[in-house]
Amino acid sequence: MSTSRLIAIALIVLTILGGIALVIAGDTMWFPRKASTVAPQMDLVFNIITWISIFFFVLIMVVMFWFAGEYHTGRQAKATSDVTHNTPLELTWTIIPLILVIAIFYVGLEGYLNLRVAPVGAYDVRVTAQKWSWLFEHSNGASEANVLRVPLNRPVRLLMQSKDVLHACFIPAFRVKQDIVPGRISTIWFEAKEAGEFDLFCAEYCGKDHSMMRAKVIVKPEAEFIADLKEAAELHKKLSDSELAQYAMSKLYVRCQSCHSLDGKRGTGPSWRETNANWNKERVFKDGNKEVVNENYIRESILNPGLHIVETFTNAMPTFKGQLDDRQIAALTLAIKNLQHFDNAGKLKAGEAIDWQIPGGFPGLYGGDGSVPANGGAASSPATIPPSNTP
Amino acid sequence: MTTLDISKPLHPTIGEDNYLTHTRGILSWLFTLDHKRIGVNYLVCVLTSFFFGGMFALLVRTELLTPGKTIVEQDAYNQFFTLHGAIMVFLVIIPSIPAALGNFVLPIMLGAKDVAFPRLNLMSWWLWVTGAVFFVGSLFTGGLDTGWTFYTPYSIDKGSAMGGAVSALMGVFILGFSSIFTGLNFIVTIHRLRPPGMTWFRMPLFLWAIYSTAILQVLATPVIGITVALLMFERTFGIGIFDPKLGGDPVLYQHFFWFYSHPAVYIMILPGMGIISELIAVHSHKHIFGYRFIAFSSVAIAIFSFLVWGHHMFTSGQSPLMNAMFSAITFSVAIPSAVKVFNWVATMYKGSISLNTPMLYAMAFLFIFSIGGLTGLHLGTLAVDIHLHDTYFVVAHFHYVMMGSALIAMIGGLHHWWPKMTGKMYNENLGRLACALVFIGFNVTFFTQFFLGTKGGTRRSWDYLPEFQVYHIISTIGSYILAIGFFLTAGYLIHSLFRGKKAPANPWGGRSLEWQCASPPPHDNFATTPTVGDCYDFSTVEWDEKQGTFVVHGEGQPSPAHSHH
Repeated sequence: MSTSRLIAIALIVLTILGGIALVIAGDTMWFPRKASTVAPQMDLVFNIITWISIFFFVLIMVVMFWFAGEYHTGRQAKATSDVTHNTPLELTWTIIPLILVIAIFYVGLEGYLNLRVAPVGAYDVRVTAQKWSWLFEHSNGASEANVLRVPLNRPVRLLMQSKDVLHACFIPAFRVKQDIVPGRISTIWFEAKEAGEFDLFCAEYCGKDHSMMRAKVIVKPEAEFIADLKEAAELHKKLSDSELAQYAMSKLYVRCQSCHSLDGKRGTGPSWRETNANWNKERVFKDGNKEVVNENYIRESILNPGLHIVETFTNAMPTFKGQLDDRQIAALTLAIKNLQHFDNAGKLKAGEAIDWQIPGGFPGLYGGDGSVPANGGAASSPATIPPSNTP
Repeated sequence: MTTLDISKPLHPTIGEDNYLTHTRGILSWLFTLDHKRIGVNYLVCVLTSFFFGGMFALLVRTELLTPGKTIVEQDAYNQFFTLHGAIMVFLVIIPSIPAALGNFVLPIMLGAKDVAFPRLNLMSWWLWVTGAVFFVGSLFTGGLDTGWTFYTPYSIDKGSAMGGAVSALMGVFILGFSSIFTGLNFIVTIHRLRPPGMTWFRMPLFLWAIYSTAILQVLATPVIGITVALLMFERTFGIGIFDPKLGGDPVLYQHFFWFYSHPAVYIMILPGMGIISELIAVHSHKHIFGYRFIAFSSVAIAIFSFLVWGHHMFTSGQSPLMNAMFSAITFSVAIPSAVKVFNWVATMYKGSISLNTPMLYAMAFLFIFSIGGLTGLHLGTLAVDIHLHDTYFVVAHFHYVMMGSALIAMIGGLHHWWPKMTGKMYNENLGRLACALVFIGFNVTFFTQFFLGTKGGTRRSWDYLPEFQVYHIISTIGSYILAIGFFLTAGYLIHSLFRGKKAPANPWGGRSLEWQCASPPPHDNFATTPTVGDCYDFSTVEWDEKQGTFVVHGEGQPSPAHSHH
């Protein structure tokens, strides 16, 4: 047997085995978890198309390799057939694919319409996308950055807006995706069938930190979902300054972390550690202006980031006007101002007292013994002297 | 003279006077009106651009070896993938086959001395060079990070996109004119300069493909010109066409962009299909199967390609009705593509197949294009595309079509016509080895990305989840194999220029007119206008061991092709 025939047979066997492997491996090779109501149907459509594709691909390749091995000849040889066309055969392989693609189009359309039309009574969540973070606002006033809480087994509709450029909300486990076009409200809906944590990505390129514009979708049974939302809504309403700072670190900082580190390393923007070290000191900016780093400076930098650019940085930060309320800005300010009490993971350092925040504060005003509560860090001894921020 | 004796090239004395030696000096190349030299100029430019586009691809793949930073930060990575895409689309694939190979081969296939408008042809090339300069200029005016698609409002927002956008858009605008003039030139050439005996249905299928492409170039390219002009005005003067802050609509831009850029995909692939028709017939030494079906399918693809642009926008927010219509029409493109594949395979049936490098590239094309075409079914299906849009599945799909098919066809065509263009034979064994490396490297790189995409890996992402890393590592290894294959190819092709064996007039046994003049062709191609018959009738073509070339059996008699008319 000639080498070319052997190679042809080997390739034919490989092609067939590859096709079989793809069919058997199926779902696990291809998909993330099927965590929404539409996922099983969409995966089935995908699989049907894949099986049809594998069938035709293997058919074409087997014939091609077979011909190449069978009719491989020297230069002296001649073709042993002079057929130029065969209309019935050509019509056959025109019409069969035509019927198949019409069928594929139909199942695809049906699945898509299910995906577009949200059921009546779906629970609405307002979504704001901006470079490079997500904000999710709930009906009870809870608003969380980069965390989307949804109930299990209830249709949820996202009403999405963009503050700046195109973004796209993509939740692979739910098989949904929708571009978010600035200037209009884009919607998407899904019903989670599985409790747990899932990834949400920005799928439309939006600049520098596009790949880090991610969020977590947290699916919980209704009772737990409600409890979480209540807590989220309460959190920034009735808090002491210390708790506010901890709230800022645990809930708000996720929107800042892609550019502002806690460990002093400079990213797209200055590290908060650097800003904290410069508290109450005068800084000179790129444009030559000077400003003392204080509460107002932080507020201006959040609402009008282009106003003061620290040397070596560029004007990359979007405004958070309308995204953060005054209370949240106050919380962030407290966190930055008192960052020396937090470690690089954003946790209150063990042993730090809870009432550090007001130099000369009133003992007894804050409840308890003034130590860190269980969720904020390790317990510590009372009566720690509040440190001063003045250098 | 009305009959043509294939065994005696019209200019048998190689090296005496051919287009390479006809005039000398660098200026005789830069301002040449000879279509062959303009083709070679294009080829040098396109291959140089291909080198740079490829380097950016390797940088992208290397950066993606680990999540987060591997070699560069976000801004540099975003520039790498933008420049890779923009260079490969606008400077490499669009001009590669029509402007480089087409310019060289088309007039000779027609037995003509040149294209219809040689001066316009020269201007096309100079416009290409000017456009390329503006493209490079974007690197020195702030960089380019918009992606090759220039989506608004990112691209018009001075606070977002880097400053090089205007220069790059100007480059696209100018390159568009280059493409339009080349298309116009080819349309007129094919209409007016066909030789006696070459009816429309006796044209080599490569010409059908180039003709269909030329129509797309002339009709679709003005739209991208207007669109990028509007984008430049919007970014510079804030006129409010696409910017929602000024009452514009970003989705309008996407419609404009894809109205050109979808047909542009067929500007890339149709000439490739034309090359494959030639390669398979010539290297199987057998009549192409179903000539009319293949010819008509080229025209059908060209027409359908104008009506499917919306399938790039299923998640953009256009209405479900529009999505349904675009999905339906998209599936209609599948039919002519499938017909071509079946006909090519059927051509091999009972042929006398030479597994030369060009034929191996043709078979690689069939393998890769089948996968590229079939995965198009997934993406054309509405429900499935919602999940797959903007993921690596799409990246893999369009690389299977644009790189694995269009570029592989171009490389195959380059090997097929290399002896004709340079008068030299390359090392056949190294050619086959490089083809195998390219084939394996390509599939390892891009098949992996289908899995990455369905798992939810988003494209244009500098950072990614740790669980995606294994796919990225495999893909990057594939890209290195691919690069080795291409460097090997560059090595033996350049080597052949200096040390290669002299090429005979007809090394493969081709029947179309370019194989009937000397290698390399003389300045005027043919002394007199030749007459032609059926260019796929190989029954009279035989290998002559003594002369080391294919000749027509029955020397001195009229070629049997002429008995038809």
